[in-house]
Amino acid sequence: VTGRGSDLLRACRWAVERARRLGAAQADAFAERTRQASVTVRNREVEQISQATGKGLGLRVFLGGRLGFAYTSDLGKEGLCDVAARAMALARAAARDSHHGLPKEAELARGARDLLGMYDPAIEALDTQWMLDASLEMERAARAEDPRVAGFESVGAGDLVSEVALVTSTGFSGTYRGTSVYMYAVPVARGDDGQLQTGYWVDARRRLADLEPPEVIGRTAARRAARMLGARKVKTKRVPVVFEPLVAASFVAGLAAAVDGDMVYKKSSFLGDRLGDRVAPDFVTVVDDGLRPGGLSTAPFDGEGVATRRTAIVEKGRLTSFLYDTYTARKAKACSTGSARRGYAGLPEIRTSNLYLEAGSTPAASLVRGLREGFYVTSMLGRGADPVTGDYSRGANGLWIRAGEFAEPVQEVTVSGNMLEMLRVVDAVGDDLDFRGSTGAPTIRFAELMVAGA
Amino acid sequence: MRRLPSSRTAFARGSRSALPRLGLPRPPDARPLDAPPLPLGLLERLIGLALARGADFADVYVERSVQTAVLLDEDKIRSAQAGRISGVGVRAICGAKVGYAWSDDLDDAALERAASTAAAIASSGAQVSSIRVSRVPVPEHYRVVPSLMDVDLPLKVDLLRRGNAAARAADPRVLQVSGAYLDVTRRIAVANSEGCYAEDTQDLCRLHFHVVARDRSGERRTGFYGGGGRVGMGHFETFRPEDVAREAVRQAVAMLGAVEAPAGPQTVVLAPGWAGILLHEAIGHGLEADFIRKGTSLYAGKLGERVASEHVTVIDDATMAGARGSVNVDDEGLPGQRKILIEKGILRSYLYDRLNARLLGERSSGSGRRQSFKHAPLPRMTNTFLAPGEEHPDDILRSVKRGLYCRNFGGGQVDISNGNFVFEVAEAYLIEKGRLTRPVRNATLIGVGPEVLRNVSLVGCDPAPDPGIGTCGKDGQSVPVGVGLPTVRIDQVTVGGTRVAAGRMV
Repeated sequence: VTGRGSDLLRACRWAVERARRLGAAQADAFAERTRQASVTVRNREVEQISQATGKGLGLRVFLGGRLGFAYTSDLGKEGLCDVAARAMALARAAARDSHHGLPKEAELARGARDLLGMYDPAIEALDTQWMLDASLEMERAARAEDPRVAGFESVGAGDLVSEVALVTSTGFSGTYRGTSVYMYAVPVARGDDGQLQTGYWVDARRRLADLEPPEVIGRTAARRAARMLGARKVKTKRVPVVFEPLVAASFVAGLAAAVDGDMVYKKSSFLGDRLGDRVAPDFVTVVDDGLRPGGLSTAPFDGEGVATRRTAIVEKGRLTSFLYDTYTARKAKACSTGSARRGYAGLPEIRTSNLYLEAGSTPAASLVRGLREGFYVTSMLGRGADPVTGDYSRGANGLWIRAGEFAEPVQEVTVSGNMLEMLRVVDAVGDDLDFRGSTGAPTIRFAELMVAGA
Repeated sequence: MRRLPSSRTAFARGSRSALPRLGLPRPPDARPLDAPPLPLGLLERLIGLALARGADFADVYVERSVQTAVLLDEDKIRSAQAGRISGVGVRAICGAKVGYAWSDDLDDAALERAASTAAAIASSGAQVSSIRVSRVPVPEHYRVVPSLMDVDLPLKVDLLRRGNAAARAADPRVLQVSGAYLDVTRRIAVANSEGCYAEDTQDLCRLHFHVVARDRSGERRTGFYGGGGRVGMGHFETFRPEDVAREAVRQAVAMLGAVEAPAGPQTVVLAPGWAGILLHEAIGHGLEADFIRKGTSLYAGKLGERVASEHVTVIDDATMAGARGSVNVDDEGLPGQRKILIEKGILRSYLYDRLNARLLGERSSGSGRRQSFKHAPLPRMTNTFLAPGEEHPDDILRSVKRGLYCRNFGGGQVDISNGNFVFEVAEAYLIEKGRLTRPVRNATLIGVGPEVLRNVSLVGCDPAPDPGIGTCGKDGQSVPVGVGLPTVRIDQVTVGGTRVAAGRMV
């Protein structure tokens, strides 16, 4: 993939030029090429090896306030001619909307350098043998960690090398490349009574050197599976609830759906009329940072060429910003926050980049130690977070807390509340911010939530 | 990237009203023999290359897809988009090992590279006699004429405009209406080293509306409804966009003023149709042969055993005419089948793809499905439903003194190993003395599959398929599925809510 961005740029320029010739007032083309490989193992042997290269281009055209969009996986002349003709035909059938159009020049990213930490040549050079060895090591380590590990749902590793190009009819032209590598282990532990429990642990990084060693991932996953053996329901009650980082990150992601500028504009967000309000204690800060070094979603520009940036969504407990792309920003009389995420097969959409809850200063362990009784949640089921009403209700697994210590494992219960109220009752944030993907969080504690079980 | 292997059924909700009428399957007739998406000679060569290192099975999957998506928002067609994606996936199997490679470059050199990459899973090097494939007969449970890719865009746009107008006019409390029309025409061909070659054209469409209603107090509630299937534009003459949009409005408005859900174990009555995702989550995934072979499903080794109450008969049927989950052939080229999974509570069969069937000494049940050429096939469900019982739905309701009536649902998810599943209830009502009283919000059902199925105490005589809206995710692959269920009473289901239940719910 490396260093061939010029041909993606050429395809983008060609498509934009073609659209202009067909009568488009404005156009932009986004192209990407990926190379990926993945390996899974089973019973000390390779199970599956997959390898692929893919590519494609998506073309937006604007014609008197009408938008058309088409995409293709064929970057040859024929494919590009076809995509331009189809995009134009769709634009002619679309409704006029004066908010459509490309971003203003001042908003565009300058230059198109690779940001620090997006690309690692060591990943470009990885082969499937490395993935195989790492996967076998995870499997071995998980079995070594606990004899109750009876099998695996899956164990594997993989990588992705991608290259992106964007060209607009207003003169923007940029390209960048990125790498990522990941490993995961999902062991299944079997108890004396035949109960099965899975554990799950994963790591994903832009740079090979930042990845946790496979042995750590295997052992961690095994511990997480084995400690759930014997899990049962608890009685329905209100108790303090602690979310470990992986679960806290999913809570933060649920909140982010409510700061999507489009949802806010359409009065479909429970946070919509609370900009500037205090929504959480002052030790709660939530940030979307498109420039975070080494972040999996770090990029120099968004899907429209707008410069990415750090946006505080909640700053010291106050709701400070929503997220916008160009179209929604125009409607809402706001500015794009560089939040237009785009793949070649779709229109740009408002998405978070590297989203996280900032670490607090309390040692994570003391969030549990301080509790007489409580529920430490280690995994959840279902989506259950409604950005319109703020209602939150999800299946939860984890450990009961008694006298500041982890006690019996718990399953088949739900944790419910309203996210607005949940934010208000956050009473501690740990110091252990962790990313296992694009969204990160430290351990957080809620003073009290409803846990429904028996 | 993979996440916790689990299932998620997205774009929820169905109701007994406005269900699509499913006709009888057409007899297979002489369909015009289109030119294959790739020449048979090339496919034969690729299979030979995939076998060249000693693999004992190989297949080549060719896909050419044309997709349309039209979105309506704030009284306007916000966007219309169209795309074409083509590609080829080559798989080589050696014992339990799989090599898979795909390419969206369709030139011979790129495809040969992919075949050789897949072949490398085996390492012996073998004499391969040349492979010849020939066309196998393909049943016809759907055929859409004209194909959705050949339907003019204005017809599709019009469905959204009509629904939007009806929703806006339906109730003054409607705050937002958004809608989407999505379709794909997917032409596939599968050739394998056993000499079989099968082709299918799979059209699929869906229309849905999402509504936000707001009352004077500022309270907001949402409603969602939609459907479609492997059907043409004629479907929307009976499944009218106006009715679809009004149903979304009805749900949103009905939930205004809803009380908080009571938490804890309760008797639950499920409305017919979309509630079938309960089966999909509670048992369907646990019967997929990959989880069985690996021993990670709690249903492994339980064939012939009682796993549900005697009221429970579960069927997975790929042959329902025009249904969203139906397949003429699966993504391994085998005809779709109707399978009885559970018969009167006894576990009868698992869902097999080729690989897992072979390793378990069974035959594929035509359940090998994939999202696209970018993925190797997995054993998956198609249309999964609970067979009807004898109770009248009104009698089922009357049998409950206190409980929860669940009319519409969001998504669900299951953890295969411990069987824990959740099931989000979008529209629910309290049952008091056998009658529906107040609407309830923010309820989630949670349970362990086998326990819930043992607690099924009454099954209605009113079977209904969902309207054609479900998408199932597993291992990062999404496939369209159907579900269905008559009215069902389940005792002692844990309801996750925010309010401590007043008194004991029986």
